[in-house]
Amino acid sequence: MSQVKNPQPRQRLLYLHARTPSVYSGILGLTQIEPVAGHKVEITAQDEEWPYETVHDAIVDGWQIVQFPHQQAPIADRDLDMVGYEFILQKMEVVN
Amino acid sequence: MTDAATLSNEHLLDDVEVADFVANGYRILELELPEGLNEAAALKLDELEQNPGDEIMDVVPELWQVVEQEVVKGVMTSLLGTDFALMSHRHWHCRQPGTGHMQWHQDSTNRRDIRLEQLLGLYYPRDVSADMGPTIVVPGTHFRNAPTDRMATYTNIKGQIPLIVKAGTFAVTHYDMWHGTSANRSGVKRHMIKFLFRRTKDNTAPTWNHDPARVDQPFSYGDEQAANARTALRSANPLGVSQSDHYKEIKIRTECFDQLLGKTAG
Repeated sequence: MSQVKNPQPRQRLLYLHARTPSVYSGILGLTQIEPVAGHKVEITAQDEEWPYETVHDAIVDGWQIVQFPHQQAPIADRDLDMVGYEFILQKMEVVN
Repeated sequence: MTDAATLSNEHLLDDVEVADFVANGYRILELELPEGLNEAAALKLDELEQNPGDEIMDVVPELWQVVEQEVVKGVMTSLLGTDFALMSHRHWHCRQPGTGHMQWHQDSTNRRDIRLEQLLGLYYPRDVSADMGPTIVVPGTHFRNAPTDRMATYTNIKGQIPLIVKAGTFAVTHYDMWHGTSANRSGVKRHMIKFLFRRTKDNTAPTWNHDPARVDQPFSYGDEQAANARTALRSANPLGVSQSDHYKEIKIRTECFDQLLGKTAG
C-alpha cells in the first residue's frame, strides 16, 4: 500500500549584498540557497545573469526579508570592511 | 633585490599606472620568457605529488628566470621600492581536475594597512581557461578590513575578475585583495606558483617613472579619462560601491599614494 506524501514548504534563502541599506539600491553580491540535500553554491568564472538587480525586485517576486543589514559602523568610520549591506530573504515553498 | 643602476626605466611603471594599482589592487604581466620555459615548468609541476613549499625553486629552477624578469622587477621596484625583497613564502597551488571552488578569502589575519607593504606574484605556466579553476580576484577590495569568515555568505560579486590567462602570465596582486577560485571541471591540472614580495624601506621619493605634472593636476569631474594620477585615484570604482565607501576609498588611496611619493617619510 503506497503512502500519500504531504510535502511541507521548505525555506529557500537569498543573501543579497546591496550598495546601501535601501531596498532600491543595486546589488553587488547574490547567493541563493535551495533547501535540497547536497545543494551547494560556488564562485564561477563565467558571468552569471542574476535574477534581480535590487532587493526590491526580489520582494516583488515574493521573497520576504528576514534580516535587515546592520547600519551602525562597527569600527571607525574611516575604515572599509565588508562589501555592501547584507539582506537575508526567504521564500517558503514546496520544493521538489 | 633591484640594482637600480641596471634596471631600465622602460620597465618601471608611470604615475597613472601606480595610481591604477593603488585603486584596483592588481596588474597583469605577460612575460616574454625563453621558448619552452613555461612548458618545462608545467611538466615538472605535473609530476609533483605534494607541495614542496619554498623548495619549489629547487624542484623547478626555471622559476628563478620568472621572478628575475626585468618587467617583474620593474613593477616591484615601482610599488615596493628599490630594496624590495622576494620572501621565502612560496607555494605551488594546483587545482586538480574535479576540484571544487575555493571560497573568498584574504590571506592571513585581518590587520590591513593603507601602506603598500606586501604583494603577491602569481605565475601561471599553462594557459588557464574558464573551466580550469582560475584564480578569481575582486578589484578594489584590498583596503577592506574583512574577516574571511564573514565572506562566507558571498558567492559571485559584481566586478570580480577571473584570471583566464595565457601561459607565462604573472599577476601582481595586493596581498589583502579578496580572492578565490572556481571549480576545475577540465581534465587538466591548473598550476600557479605564488611568490611573496615585501617592502623593506619606506619611500623617501617615488621609485617609478615619476612626472610631477602627471600627479598634481587638480581633479575635475567629467575629465575621468585624463591621464593623471589624482584622477585615477578618485575615479576608479571597480566594485560600484556607494558614495560613503567610495569617499573612504579615495581617502585611503590618496594616503597610500602620498606615502609612495615619500611625502610622509619622517
